[in-house]
Amino acid sequence: MRYASAEVRKQFFIDMFTRDISLEDCVLDLIGNSLDSYLLKHAISVSELIFGPDATNGARKPGRIDVTCTENQIKVVDTCGGISRERAMKDVFCFGHDEDDPVGKLGAYGVGMKRALFKIGNKFDIVSRTATEGFEVSLNLQEWAEKKEWKIPITFVEGADSEAKAGTSITITELHEEVALRIREGGVPRNILNDAATTYPYFLDRCVKLRIDGNDVPPRPIPFGESDGVIRAAREKFEQSNVKVTLAASVAPGQRMAEQAGWYILCNGRVVVDANKDDLTGWASDLASFQPKYRSFVGLASFESDDPLRLPWTTTKRDINRESGVFIRARSLMATMSKPILTFLNSQYPSDPNAEVGDIRDAVEGVQPVSFRDIASRSPSGFLYTPPKKKAKTNDWVRFQASITSLDKVRHHVRRPSLSASDVGKLAFDHYVKTECADD
Amino acid sequence: MIIDALQRLATAGFPIFDYQYTGFGAIYFVDFIMLHKLLGMNRLLSLEQDKSLENRVSFNKPFSCVDIKMVPASSEIPSLSRDIRHIVWLDYDGVLRKDFLSDIQSAITVLPAGSILLVTVDVEPPEDYDYKQVDPDFDSSKNVLGPKQWKRYFEHHASGYLGLGLSEGDFGKSELLQRSIEVLKGAFTRSIVARPELEFLPMFHFDYRDSHRMLTMGGMIAGPTERRLLRASTIDAAIYYRGDFGTQPFEINVPRLTRKERVYLDREMPCPDGWSPKEFDLDPDKARQYREIYRFLPAFAEILL
Repeated sequence: MRYASAEVRKQFFIDMFTRDISLEDCVLDLIGNSLDSYLLKHAISVSELIFGPDATNGARKPGRIDVTCTENQIKVVDTCGGISRERAMKDVFCFGHDEDDPVGKLGAYGVGMKRALFKIGNKFDIVSRTATEGFEVSLNLQEWAEKKEWKIPITFVEGADSEAKAGTSITITELHEEVALRIREGGVPRNILNDAATTYPYFLDRCVKLRIDGNDVPPRPIPFGESDGVIRAAREKFEQSNVKVTLAASVAPGQRMAEQAGWYILCNGRVVVDANKDDLTGWASDLASFQPKYRSFVGLASFESDDPLRLPWTTTKRDINRESGVFIRARSLMATMSKPILTFLNSQYPSDPNAEVGDIRDAVEGVQPVSFRDIASRSPSGFLYTPPKKKAKTNDWVRFQASITSLDKVRHHVRRPSLSASDVGKLAFDHYVKTECADD
Repeated sequence: MIIDALQRLATAGFPIFDYQYTGFGAIYFVDFIMLHKLLGMNRLLSLEQDKSLENRVSFNKPFSCVDIKMVPASSEIPSLSRDIRHIVWLDYDGVLRKDFLSDIQSAITVLPAGSILLVTVDVEPPEDYDYKQVDPDFDSSKNVLGPKQWKRYFEHHASGYLGLGLSEGDFGKSELLQRSIEVLKGAFTRSIVARPELEFLPMFHFDYRDSHRMLTMGGMIAGPTERRLLRASTIDAAIYYRGDFGTQPFEINVPRLTRKERVYLDREMPCPDGWSPKEFDLDPDKARQYREIYRFLPAFAEILL
C-alpha cells in the first residue's frame, strides 16, 4: 500500500488561516481568553451574567484587562487568574482541543490565541501566573517555523502569590508590516474599543474592567423596550442539542439610527452578530427587506452551552454557521417573532392618508427601556400591541375641492384677498352653522 | 369532511373539543358554527384584517365563545398559546402569495405537537394583480396575460419552493394546481425541518371548484405520540384522507341535483359501483361522485314566506 503525505505544515497556520480574521478581531479573541480565565476561575455561568440579577459582583473582585497597541507592539495584560502549568503543557499551545481538555465558555476551537499571535507579529512573550505557579514562553515565529517539531519551549516561573495578582501577560513584538501599517494608519485602538464595547457588553463592568490604551471601555448594552399595557416584547425559548436558546424581539426606546436596528446574536454571552439586517436573520427572505421605518426594531438571540462547540458560531466568532440545526430552528422562530413587529412599525406609515396613526406613533415614542433579562424571564409569547381605548371623536376632517372663482368671491366679500383656501372653507362652514343650524 | 376527520381523531384520543380553532370567519362564520355545534369546541378565534368590516363581523358573531381580532394572521399566529393545541385554517381567498407562505412558516414554527394546520388557496391564474411588479415590461393595453406572466408571478412569490428547470409551459392554467401543490408542500416541509423532533403528517388534500378552483392542503404537526394516535385512528379509512401529498388530491365534485333527486339517491346510498337511478337519468359516474360526498353535503332550503 502506498501513502500520500497528509502532513500538517506550519506555514499554513502562520500565513493562511490568519487571513480570514481582522486585526481587531484577533485582539478581541485575546480579550475573550482573559474573560474565559476569569469565568473559569470564579465558576461564573454565562446565564448568570446575562440573566442573573443586576447586583454587583459582591465578594468577587472584578478582573482587569489592559490592552495597549502601538506600531511596535500589542500587549494584553490581565488579572483574570492565569493559566495553570498543566494546561500550558498539554492544551494552550495545541491547535484544537483534546476531548479531555477543560473548555472555557468563549474559547471553542482552540485556535484564537495562536491565530492572533501569528497574525500580529513575529515574536511573542507570554507570562502567566496563577496564585501558586507560573510559566513563561518566548518564541520567534520564523525560527520556530523552520523546525519540523511541533513543540514550544516553556520555562516554569513562580506563581503570583495572590489571587488578586494572578493573570496573564501577552506581548507581541516585531509586528508584521501590514499590521504595523494599519496601526500607523490610525483608528485601530478606537476600533478595538468600540468592538469590545459592543461584543462583550454582558462581561464588561460585570466581571472585568477593560481598558484600551488607558481608556476605559464601557459596555454598550443592546436596548430593548416595552410600554406598560401598550407594547409587550416577543419572547421564545427552547433547548436543543445541549444548547439553550433565548429569543426576544421588540421596539427599542428612544431615537434610533437604522445602523442599530436588527437582530443581535450572542453565543455564550459574546455578541457574534450585531444589528443584522440581511438574509442571515431572515430579512428580504422570510421577512421584508429592511427599510429605515424599521429602525426601532431590535431582536436578540442568545445561544448558550457548556460545550461551546455546539454553538452556531464560526471560528472567527463574527458569523454564524448556517448549517447549525439549532440556528435553523432559532432563525425560523426569529422570523415568526419579527413579523408582527414589522407590521406594527409599518402601520406608522399607512397608504391611506386619512388613517389615524397618532396612537401608534405615540406608542413607539412611549417605549421605555426594559432588560433582556426581564423579557426572557416570562413565558413565550408573541409581540403585542394594545391600542389605547378610542375616545369618542369630537372632531373630524372636512376636505373638499372648490372652484377658485368661488373662493375669490368669498375673499372679495369678506375683503380678505389673501385668505387661504382652508380658511375660506372654515369661514363658510362656521357661517352656515351659525346662521342655519339651531343651537342644541 | 374536516368535521368527520376531527371526529375520528377525537375517537382516537385527540382532545379535539379542547383545541382552539383559529380561522377567517368573515361575516358568515360557517366553520365556527359547525365546530362549536358538532364538536363542542369553545375556543374559537376569528381573524379579519379588513378593519372596515369590524362592525359587521362583530354583529354577525354567532356565539359568545367566538373571539374576534381585527388583525392579519401574521400578527396573531406568534401569540397563539403554546399550552393548548390548535386547529388553524388559513382559508385564503386568493392565489398563493409570499405572505401566505410566511404565515405557514410561522404556524408550523410555533404550534405545539398535535396541532392541525390547513391552508386553502385559489389555483386559478391571479387576477386583479399589477403584473408590472413581476414583469416590468408587461403592458396591460398590449399584452395578454398568459403563462409567462404567471411564471413570473410564482417566481416572485414562491421562488424558493419551485423546482428547478420549470419552463413557461409548466405555468399554463391547467398546471397551476400542480405548481401550487408543490409550493405548499415545500412550505410545510421546509418549516418543520427547523423542529427536528417533529414531523408534518399530511392529512388533507382537496381539489374543488365553487366560483374558482380551490386547493386545500393540511396536516398535523406530530411527535411520536401523535403519529401513533393518528395511525391508530380510523382516518386512513376515510375516502378523503391523503397521507401523502404526492398522491392525487381528493376531488370534490358535487353533482347538480334537485332536492327530490337527492332524497331518492340518499335512500340508495351507499350504492354499489356502476349503479345509477332508474327513476331519472344520472350517469353512473355522477352517482359514484355523489356516493363519495353525500354524507358531507349540507342540505339547503329556500323558503318563501
